[in-house]
This record gives sequence, C-alpha cells and structure tokens, in this order.
Amino acid sequence: VKGPSPRLQIAAVFRKEVRQTLRDRRIMFMLIVAPMLQTVLFGFAVDFDVDRVPTEVVDLDRSVESREHVRRLLADGTLLAGERRGSPGEAGRDIDAGRAAAAVVLPPGLGADLGAGRPATVQVVLDGTDPNRAQQVSAAVSRYFGEEGERLARERFRAAGRPEPGQIALVPRVAYNPRLKTAPYMVPGIAAMLLVIVTTLVTAMGLSRERENGTMEQVLVTPIQPVWLLLGKLLPFLAIGLVDMAVLLAAGTWIFDVPIRGNLLVGLAGVVLYVFSTLGTGLFISTVSQTQQQAFLGGFLFMLPAILLSGIMTPIRAMPGWLQAVTYLNPLRHFAEVMRGVLLRGAGIGDLWFQLAALAVLGGGVMALAATRFRTQLG
Amino acid sequence: MMERLRRSLVRIGAMAAKETIHVRRDPRTLALALVMPVALLFLFGYGVSTDLDHLPVAVADRDGTDASRALARELGASGEIDVVARKAPEEVEALFRKGFAVGALVIPEGYATDLAAGRRTTLQLLVDGADSVVANQVMNKADGIVRAVSRGLAGVEASRMAAPIEVRVWTLYNPTGRSALYMVPGLTALLLAITAVMLTALAIAGEWERGSMEQLFATPVGRLEIILGKLLPYLVLGFLALLLVLAFGMVAFDLPARGNLLVVFLLGVVFLAGMLGQGLLISVVTKNQLVATQAGALSAMLPSVILSGMVFPLDNMPLLLRLISRVVPARYLVEGLRGVLLKGNGLDVLWPDLLAMAIFTTAILALATARFQRRLA
Repeated sequence: VKGPSPRLQIAAVFRKEVRQTLRDRRIMFMLIVAPMLQTVLFGFAVDFDVDRVPTEVVDLDRSVESREHVRRLLADGTLLAGERRGSPGEAGRDIDAGRAAAAVVLPPGLGADLGAGRPATVQVVLDGTDPNRAQQVSAAVSRYFGEEGERLARERFRAAGRPEPGQIALVPRVAYNPRLKTAPYMVPGIAAMLLVIVTTLVTAMGLSRERENGTMEQVLVTPIQPVWLLLGKLLPFLAIGLVDMAVLLAAGTWIFDVPIRGNLLVGLAGVVLYVFSTLGTGLFISTVSQTQQQAFLGGFLFMLPAILLSGIMTPIRAMPGWLQAVTYLNPLRHFAEVMRGVLLRGAGIGDLWFQLAALAVLGGGVMALAATRFRTQLG
Repeated sequence: MMERLRRSLVRIGAMAAKETIHVRRDPRTLALALVMPVALLFLFGYGVSTDLDHLPVAVADRDGTDASRALARELGASGEIDVVARKAPEEVEALFRKGFAVGALVIPEGYATDLAAGRRTTLQLLVDGADSVVANQVMNKADGIVRAVSRGLAGVEASRMAAPIEVRVWTLYNPTGRSALYMVPGLTALLLAITAVMLTALAIAGEWERGSMEQLFATPVGRLEIILGKLLPYLVLGFLALLLVLAFGMVAFDLPARGNLLVVFLLGVVFLAGMLGQGLLISVVTKNQLVATQAGALSAMLPSVILSGMVFPLDNMPLLLRLISRVVPARYLVEGLRGVLLKGNGLDVLWPDLLAMAIFTTAILALATARFQRRLA
C-alpha cells in the first residue's frame, strides 16, 4: 500500500505543530520574548572592563614630586582615588573590609631620592580575590613607574654626557574592537546560549509531553512514517531558531554596536547546523525520559555545563588540556566561534570550515542516535 | 503556652520525619542534592577560569638579525606567551580569523641598528581585540617582557647611573592569581541555589499533583508547621551539599579557609533557607511539578549567574542592574564566602550580607506561608 507523499506527510505535521505552538501563549513567550529580554540584560550586565578601581593612596612623602606622581598615575582612569590614608595599615584594613581594592604606598623621601639618583621602591597592595582585576591594576602601576624610571635614567645619562642606550617601545594596535568593549564579543555568545535553551528544552519537553498524553500513539495509527513525523515536528523549531537569531542580531547591532563584518550566509549555515544539533540533543533527551519532568531535568543538566564550558563567558584556552579536548563535543563552542568569527573578525568559510564540519558531525551523530531510539520505541 | 509550643514542635517533627523518609527512599532526590553539585563543581572549578598562559602570538620579524631573533626568543621564554608562527604582518589577520593566534609582534626593519646606535625603536603589537579579557592579558604580558628587554639594554652602565623605581606588588588573598579561588565561592552559591530551589519545587508541587496535600490538610498540622516540617529535611540536605562542595573545593582547588568556618555555615544556612523558600513560593503558586521545576531552575540560575558577581563584576554594571542585584541573595553569599574563605573576614565586616539574606529569607517565607492556603482549588 502506498501512503501519501513524504512532502504531504511533513507538511501535515508541520502545520499541526505550528498551530499548536502559536496557540500556547506561554511557549510563544518563552520562544520569542524571553530571548530578547535576556540578550538585553546580558549585554548590559556583562562587562569585563577594568577601570575606576577604588584605590587608596598612602603618600608618606608628601612632596611636590610625590603629589605629581599620584596625579599622573590616576590620570589614565584605571585607578580611582579613594580615601587618602596616613599609614599602610589603615589602607590594609580598608582592603580587608572591601572598601578599597588596591593601595599605592609612596615611601618617605621618594622625591628627594629620585632627585639625588638613589633608587626608590613604590609598594602596591592589591586585593587579589579577582585575578583579572588584580592583574590589570598591577600592570597599570608597573607601566607608569616603569616609564618614569626609564625617563629619569635617561636624563641622568644625558646629564653625565654619556651615550644613551637604545630603547624599545611597544605600541599595541587592537584589531576588530579597538575600545575593547565586552558586549560585541558577548552578544554572539549569548545568542548561542539562548538558542540552545529554546530548541533543546522545548523539543525534549514537547516530545515527552506527547508521550505522556499518549498522543504520539494516535499519530502512529495514521499513515505518517516516523522519519517524516520527526522532520515535520522539528522544522518549526528550526524556523523559530532563525527568527530568534534575526531578532537577536538586530538587537545586538542596534543596542550594542555588534558589527557584521563577514558573510552572513556563513553565519546562516552555522545557525542551521547548530540548531540541527541542539534539536537532535533535545530529541535524544526525550527518548531517554519517561516524563516531561525528567526531560526538563535532563535538558537542564545538559545545558548548564554546555553553557559554562563553551568559551562564551570565559576563554576555552584557560581550561586544562583534558577539558579543552572535551569541549570539542560541545556544539555551543563551535557555534559561538562561528558567530564571533563572522560578525567580529569577518571570517569566511575558509577560516571556519572546521567549526562548521564539527557542528555537522555532532548534529548528524546525535540526530541519528536519537532517530534510531525514537523509531524502536515507537515500533 | 509552653504546651502549645511543644505540641507544635511535635507536629513539625512528625512532618519532618515523614519528609525524611520520602527523601531517603528517592535516590533521584539524593543524587540531585548531593552528587550533582559536586560533579558540576568539579567541571566548573577547572573549566570556568580566566587563567591564561601560553597565549599564541605570531612574530613578524622584518629585521631578521640576531638581536630581533633574541627578542622573539625572550618573548616565548616565560611560558606566558607561545611564539606560534613567523609571518609577514599582512598574513596575521588570517591567523586571527582562524583563531590560531591572539596577537602578533611586528619587529621593524633596522631594529638592531637603531638599538646599537642608542636610538628609540618602536615595535608594534597587533592584538585580536574581539575578546577583551584575552586582549588585555596579551598586551600586559608582552609589555612586561619588552620592558624588561629594554631595561636590559642599558646593562651594567644603567644600574650604576640610573635611579630606577622599583614597584613591589603585594597581592593579598590570592597571591598566585588563580581563577579557581575566585570562582569556586561563586560556583558554590550557584549550585546551592539551583539545588535548593529545585528540591522544594519537586517536593511540594509533587504533593499538590499527587493529591496528597489534601490528606495533609485533613490532619491537625497548621500551614506554617507543614512548611517548616517540609523544609527542615531539605535544609539539612542542602547543608550537607554545602559541606561536600566546600570540602571538595578545599581538596581539589586548594580553597583556603582563612576565616571562621562557623560564619560560612551561618551564611550558608540563611541562604539555603531563602532559596528553599523561593522554591516553596514557586510551587505553592504553580502547584505543578513541571512548571515549578522550570520556573525554579530559571529563576535560580539566571540571576545567580548574571547578577551575583560570580563571573561578571557588579561594579561595572549600569545602576539599574546593580539595584536589581541587591535583591539577589546569591550576591550576598558570594561576597560572604569570598570574604570569609579568602580574606578571613568575620561578622564585623560581613554582617550587612547576613542581614540582607536574613531579610530576603524572612520575606519570602512569609510570602510563601501567606499564599499557602489550607484549602483546595
């Protein structure tokens, strides 16, 4: 007996799914509005810039020179002058209590020592709890006094009439993001995060619900083949993923100045392959859960590590080697790299083929696994 | 009066005993409460980090002399930076796009002759600025290395002549700058928040769904007694999770305990009670396990990740978000845990955090009790 054509079968399931989804206000909210809100929230909340670090200055010298050094040290904006304290002990207590994050101690006789050519030591006390901030503050102070020391040394060479030694200056030139803002880098990553929530969780729970309600069995008595049934069920989510992505991209470009430097078609290929893999994961989770609740827990326990170990919030390079190897199995990692490459660095297919291929392999693998399980469960 | 209190305590005890039996018979709950936090802390403690070394940097050497090659060697000598390729500057962007390098040092032609003649020579450092955290670290590290080389040029001559200013940096609390020490307290708060909210969401909404809440209403147990009796076993379970997570952090990540651990336990219990209360409120409102788990997981996870100061510094956020973060209890636990464990603070410094969490906990438990009506439908 020959059933209806595959196109007809897919179209029928597709139409039914779209209608069902459009009718459920809660799901529509979760699919469209929640991702928007989260993008905006994240975009504003995530900022790794280190500036205006509350710093106490302990000027034990109180000379014209020491005051000049303090003024110039604070001029570049990394440090923000807090209270002036009379002794290092008081500053230390302020750091303990979290009222200041750093203290710069200028020793007595600093101005006179430097004038007379004697070496001097400036002490910096740092709250090291946040290593990123501590490193930036230490670099800022070292850079300023390093330059001052070098300038003074040169003056002495000249005064003594000796030939000056050579000098090397390093001038950084920052590509793609000259002001080193965090949001343009984070927003493409956030898109990866929100898409996985929308697609994996909704598929996993939707299919488990059909199993719980027994509607899956009713569909089985129709002439629809399991493969076309699956395809018809998953296609609407691919459409929703694309709509979400377009909305996020528009919001990112307008609100957070995310550039679009590369070919959006490469990005589109990335979105399709990525959503394919996250839908496959959702499908797989639904085949191993008995109830919607188990499906949710399974989805959640997949997503939490997938998000935190994707390189979206902290760099993959900072992970130990074995964990870096594991992240190759994480579709979020590859998708975030594709989106950041395309949007920020203008990367093309030649630069990103590996990530795209990895997404295709991961998606194909998990989809095949899930489809096999799905079939045997129904059959 | 005393008699009424005694009877009330007996009823709470009975509720708690009943709930304990539930928990002990359900391996899923125990796994969720005790195994999941430790497993995730293991992964995240290693994985959520900003400790970068061996940063891949390309060198474009246009000079090609012994001096320029020595500089390139010096760049890779410390292990902070790996020299990955020698390229022309035009090819560098391709490396950035592929992610093979995050920076490139351009040594200009005439580098060696300039230095020999005592002139100033300028090197360019091209940086992939897409990720600002990585970019800043590359710039700081390269700057330090080049500065050291530059000082070395002056040699013995300079050390006799010059008046160098030495900067002595004294880093408190986390001298080696390890991310894990910064992250583990934050991760602890996140994992506790998720666990506690999901546990109560499951336990209480489950009673509504199964209809066994009706049976509880038929007993003489009051609503506050039901709530306290139900929460007590989960508070104990959450506290065990806290102990496990902290012990694991200390063993695996050398997390210090410089302050009084009793303060940590106090902060932890108040925080857990608040999170259990949040789960309770959610399940009382939704009366449906599925919706309660979802609402619980998302309402505990998102604020605890974004607005707790765990990864993203609160100081940098716009005013509105900083105000919102004031009602996120995880923020106070993160502050408190870092304060006690890393800085050795006591309650003299941390009382505002404890107070804020206590207010949250009281408010949310009161709200949940008010919404918890002893009737059906």
